[in-house]
Amino acid sequence: MMPAWWRTDPCAPFRIGPREFPGRIWTASGCFAYGLTGHEMTAPGYASPYEGLGAVVTKTITPEPRAGNPMPRLVETPAGALNSIGLENVGLREFVRDVMPRLEAAAVPFVASIAATCPEQFSDLARAVQTAGAKMRHWHGLELNLSCPNVAEGGHDFGKDPDTVAACVSAAGGGAGDRALLVKLTPNVGDIAALARAAAAAGAHAVSAVNTFVGLDVDLATGRPCLPRRFGGYSGAAILPLALAKVDEIVRKAQVPVVGVGGIGSADDALKYFALGAVAVQVGTAQMRDPFCAARIARQLQTG
Amino acid sequence: MGPTGIPSPCSLVGEVMANGPVSSGLIEMHLRVPGGSAGQPTFFPGQFAMLNRPGASAWTFGRPLSILAWEGGVVRFLYRAVGRGTRELAGLGAGSGLTFLGPLGNPFPAETGGLRPVLIAGGVGLPPIWSWLQLYGARAGGPALACFGARSVEDVPWTLVGDRWRVAVEEALAAGDGRASTGLVTELVTAELGDSALDGACCVMACGPWPMLRAVRDLAAARGWPCWLSLEEHMGCGYGVCKGCVVPLREPSADVGWRPATCCQEGPVFPVDALAWDVMQPEGSP
Ligand SMILES: Cc1cc2nc3c(=O)[nH]c(=O)nc-3n(C[C@H](O)[C@H](O)[C@H](O)COP(=O)(O)OP(=O)(O)OC[C@H]3O[C@@H](n4cnc5c(N)ncnc54)[C@H](O)[C@@H]3O)c2cc1C
Ligand SMILES: Cc1cc2nc3c(=O)[nH]c(=O)nc-3n(C[C@H](O)[C@H](O)[C@H](O)COP(=O)(O)O)c2cc1C
Ligand code: FES
Repeated sequence: MMPAWWRTDPCAPFRIGPREFPGRIWTASGCFAYGLTGHEMTAPGYASPYEGLGAVVTKTITPEPRAGNPMPRLVETPAGALNSIGLENVGLREFVRDVMPRLEAAAVPFVASIAATCPEQFSDLARAVQTAGAKMRHWHGLELNLSCPNVAEGGHDFGKDPDTVAACVSAAGGGAGDRALLVKLTPNVGDIAALARAAAAAGAHAVSAVNTFVGLDVDLATGRPCLPRRFGGYSGAAILPLALAKVDEIVRKAQVPVVGVGGIGSADDALKYFALGAVAVQVGTAQMRDPFCAARIARQLQTG
Repeated sequence: MGPTGIPSPCSLVGEVMANGPVSSGLIEMHLRVPGGSAGQPTFFPGQFAMLNRPGASAWTFGRPLSILAWEGGVVRFLYRAVGRGTRELAGLGAGSGLTFLGPLGNPFPAETGGLRPVLIAGGVGLPPIWSWLQLYGARAGGPALACFGARSVEDVPWTLVGDRWRVAVEEALAAGDGRASTGLVTELVTAELGDSALDGACCVMACGPWPMLRAVRDLAAARGWPCWLSLEEHMGCGYGVCKGCVVPLREPSADVGWRPATCCQEGPVFPVDALAWDVMQPEGSP
């Protein structure tokens, strides 16, 4: 049973900035790769894991391919996980040449996540994706990842400062063009609403909140941190209340649409974000456990 | 069915039918799953499934377990309770629900190209090797040599490891116990092959702990035999999307000479020559 206040069809088109998205339930970057493996999957009652999805946010790409961090890269915690993948990705060239055309051909709605170490690189990345996607029907927008906590030289510190956020948004086109420009925010700051305001002022059409929280776990057998880089990004069910608090802060203190991310594993979890005013949600860690998680949530929110 | 003839992974909810010890340390579980079209292969030896608790009791990530057998809507697993997840599995009674995502990963080759198969399994590495022997053992080039290694004679699942298997145990046997030899499974393989190894070309397939896999690699390399190993890496998704399970593969065109490959999707079975052994940690990771 859906609550009485819920009257939205999560699988109906809605707008973010200049772009109409096919639905409000998305998968989060890094948790469903490039959105290309799902076609081989089956589940009783579902045509594919893409059923009802508004978008797949693809794994963050960087200008050059990255091999990622040493293993182990994942640590399970009682209600979540720490990851230190290190942005392993195919790089811009392969993404625009191979991944984007395949997503378009497979009619998978997608948002391209990009990360760079300076505004100039964001500009190059954004332009290359925009050029490749100009005629694509299923490419809906860009998500600037300013917030990956486990890449030593990049994103993390970067996205913590409103001026840099604004500079990156401007570099990525400032929201010009006919696709949505989203900024993915780090929760590891005191005033996340200030970042959201800076993004919106520079032209972003929405913010995705949040990326992972900085976390650490200790291996008692060795007495050392479980992850070789000590810290990881904390995600999964455990962060739901933390992420909801960040989203609430943005909704109340910044005039910008919010895509809620963090700890969603069920329709009820997603509803909590919508109750706070999020326009869409992304499913991350739970999608890793079940490739049909987002599709199941979309169906449940649609049919009750 | 995928383009390569490998069945597509399916996300299902199964029901535990039976779940109990088959040796001092090993547990066999039977899970009834819906579907499975008659006459189609359900899985290939070496493939695995991600198992999880349903609903709110789910672990953040599923637990990868190799498929021992899958017939008549019942999937069989063989596992050891080592941590939180497998201990919870061990406590499940008949009727419990489990989510199942599988079959996943790349299997062992079904054809040996006329080579005699040498099959080597250690401990919980038995399932993929056991199912290979069941399904293909009869039609391979020459009688398969199947060897199983365990810590002790009590740890051997004798219901599975019957006449077709030679068994090595690390702990000394009681006097007069002829069911197994004492020592490492790779020592048993070497002894079994003896001189016959010189006139018969073989290929090797193995699954087990890392020290065993390294010894198997050396054993095969010394004789110039092709060899496939099934590797274990810690996994998040099990279906290729998180990049949490990488192993280093040789890649001469890369600056560093290797590239990260997902154990869950490109593996877990790899030809031994594909692996970049020089950059591996003792447990296999890059
Ligand atoms: C392809 C594959 C096939 C496998 N087949 C079998 C099998 O048939 N029978 C069997 O007994 N075991 C098998 N394993 C190992 C089995 O997955 C682990 O023993 C199990 O995940 C341990 O979970 P836990 O919660 O009990 O341990 P914990 O140590 O509490 O687990 C913590 C985390 O680490 C992971 N983990 C811990 N040990 C391993 C390991 N050795 N390999 C991979 N992940 C690990 C867990 O999945 C979990 O995410 C297989 C592993 C892989 C990768
Ligand atoms: C394994 C893994 C990889 C991730 N990779 C990325 C990434 O490349 N880019 C990004 O913006 N976020 C990445 N994230 C963060 C998620 O997109 C999401 O913001 C975060 O995990 C919180 O949501 P969740 O609790 O639903 O997972 C990753 C998360 C995980 C668990
Ligand atoms: S476990 Fe996620 S990619 Fe292999």
